Amino acid sequence: MSKNKYHIIIPFLLPAVVLYAVFVMFPYGKAIYISLTKWRGLTPNPEFIGLENFQKLLGDDLFWNALSHNLIYLIFIPAITLSIALYLAFLLTHGKARFSRFYRVTFFFPQVMSLVAIGVLWSFVYHPTIGILSSIAGLLGAKEPIAWLGNPDVALIAVGAVVVWQAVGFYMVLFIAGMESIPVSYYEAATIDGASRWDLFWRITLPMLWDTIRTAMVFLAIGAIDMFAITQTMTEGGPNRSTDVLATYVYDRAFLKSNFGYATAVAVAMFVLAFLLSLLTMRATQRESLEY
Amino acid sequence: MEVKIENLKKQFGQVIGVKDLDLNVRDGEFVALLGPSGCGKTTTLLMLAGIYKPTDGTIRFGDRVVNQVQPRDRNIGMVFQSYALYPHMTVFGNISYPLKLKKVPKQEQMERVERVANTMGIGGLLDRRPGQLSGGQQQRVALGRALVKEPDILLFDEPLSNLDARLRLTMRSEIKQLQNRLGITAIYVTHDQVEAMTMADRIAVMNQGVLQAFDTPEDLYDRPKTLFVAGFVGNPPMNFADVSVMAEHGGFTARNESIRLQVPAERGQKAAAAGKVRMGIRPEDIHVVDEGDAVTAEVVIVEPLGRDAMLDVRFGSDQFLVLADPQKHIRAGDQVKLHFDMDSVQFFDLQSERSLLWN
Repeated sequence: MSKNKYHIIIPFLLPAVVLYAVFVMFPYGKAIYISLTKWRGLTPNPEFIGLENFQKLLGDDLFWNALSHNLIYLIFIPAITLSIALYLAFLLTHGKARFSRFYRVTFFFPQVMSLVAIGVLWSFVYHPTIGILSSIAGLLGAKEPIAWLGNPDVALIAVGAVVVWQAVGFYMVLFIAGMESIPVSYYEAATIDGASRWDLFWRITLPMLWDTIRTAMVFLAIGAIDMFAITQTMTEGGPNRSTDVLATYVYDRAFLKSNFGYATAVAVAMFVLAFLLSLLTMRATQRESLEY
Repeated sequence: MEVKIENLKKQFGQVIGVKDLDLNVRDGEFVALLGPSGCGKTTTLLMLAGIYKPTDGTIRFGDRVVNQVQPRDRNIGMVFQSYALYPHMTVFGNISYPLKLKKVPKQEQMERVERVANTMGIGGLLDRRPGQLSGGQQQRVALGRALVKEPDILLFDEPLSNLDARLRLTMRSEIKQLQNRLGITAIYVTHDQVEAMTMADRIAVMNQGVLQAFDTPEDLYDRPKTLFVAGFVGNPPMNFADVSVMAEHGGFTARNESIRLQVPAERGQKAAAAGKVRMGIRPEDIHVVDEGDAVTAEVVIVEPLGRDAMLDVRFGSDQFLVLADPQKHIRAGDQVKLHFDMDSVQFFDLQSERSLLWN
């Protein structure tokens, strides 16, 4: 019987395994190999150089510069996005907000736009002369146009804000779905026990939403390590590399400097970082799963 | 604590949940709100708890009008159908939560939780999570959480419906005893009439948002004031047939095309003037007899209930439920002779559906 069992299982499993191997496992393996080579992308045979690329990486200021920006995003984007999304979700499920349906759709809207379109759109919003933000600043009395994306001190925050704006709606909807599946009797019981709205949020909603929140954290963390599309369309890592992230640095090294071996090493470092981070987030936020 | 409900009304948009409800619950009384689903009993309870605001009318706890009082300031304890135990807290956390919110000192919290837990027989479970408890234990924790506040009023929302039949029986008497001992006014919502009959001092029967009757269990059973109450209270339910009651030969008879029954004078008199009326008689008041003055009927279905056999019998256009001795081995298709014990027969007006005997 057990032999027969495999006769049936293998043909079903094979297509998926083959596809996964060809399109996922093989590129990963190949990328790791390329990261150990010196390759300009033109010759068919990359030159194997061992860990030299990674060694170089450790002393590369531009790599650390890009990484530091990712880390800043990593600290602030998930925290800010989650806070706003949770606040809005709680307001729209438990508050007496009118037109709550309208708000749900409106806040979700950025999620259906392509990141590139959002990048271009916000480039106009931030435009120093024709942008709406500068016009408002002008109305409020600013003498000179503000270069939101042109000032190295402000650009990183400006780009990060766009990502928060884009992501909040999605997580809000995710949290609304989670909150609406929490049985109302918990809230009734807690209200009778004397809980304020604040207590309800901290002691009922948050613990029962925990699984959803930690999934959101992982998504946002991975997003913060990436940041490619929005950075590339808005600033290309500038001005003066003040918004450069690992992904734009990879792009820069590979396609602008034709240094594929080194670029791939950066990409592998990025992968390791994202992987460790996901693992860490899941571990650190592990709780006994709740059933209700 | 006395509870006085006057003219209470609750409307959800166009839908009327509760309509002009008047109810006085005495201090220390155990009152059941009984009715089919959607009759407004839970809505009433949630208005007492302060979760719903009444559309109209007043609720008084003692002399205090509580319409605008927040749930936490009403000093009530509530037990939910789903128990609503916080799954992320331990049993101790659950029971102590109301005290914690009231900022009761830690030491006192411990003492009070322990006392309640011991009363409920869950003293050894304080470290567990609700997910690790059986249904009966969860029920006790929920009761403990309601009691730890030392409430003036206990509210129950179908608390036993998630338990199996045997446990329900135990919890029924436990809750009743506990309430008796503590002397707390209790209002208990249920759709299970056995629960209501066995536990409550008085039962408020509701249907479609309207109070149908508010009486002791005995009165509801023996002297139902409306057709709805007569049909709803009692299991198996009361049998009904439309008859005319007439004075004949110095007595009264109830008759239609298939039956003709002697009615005791006292009851017959009240029904005689009304023309066509609805007669009600409980299954246990009809006996299968071997001979004598009887109605002959055909058995359609036999349902063995253990102690009795429930017969579904037909005579003429009427179909009745009858309880018979299983030793008689009656089968579907048999012809049986029925004797009606008319001492507890009921009569209702067809239009108003009110009792002709008890109003």
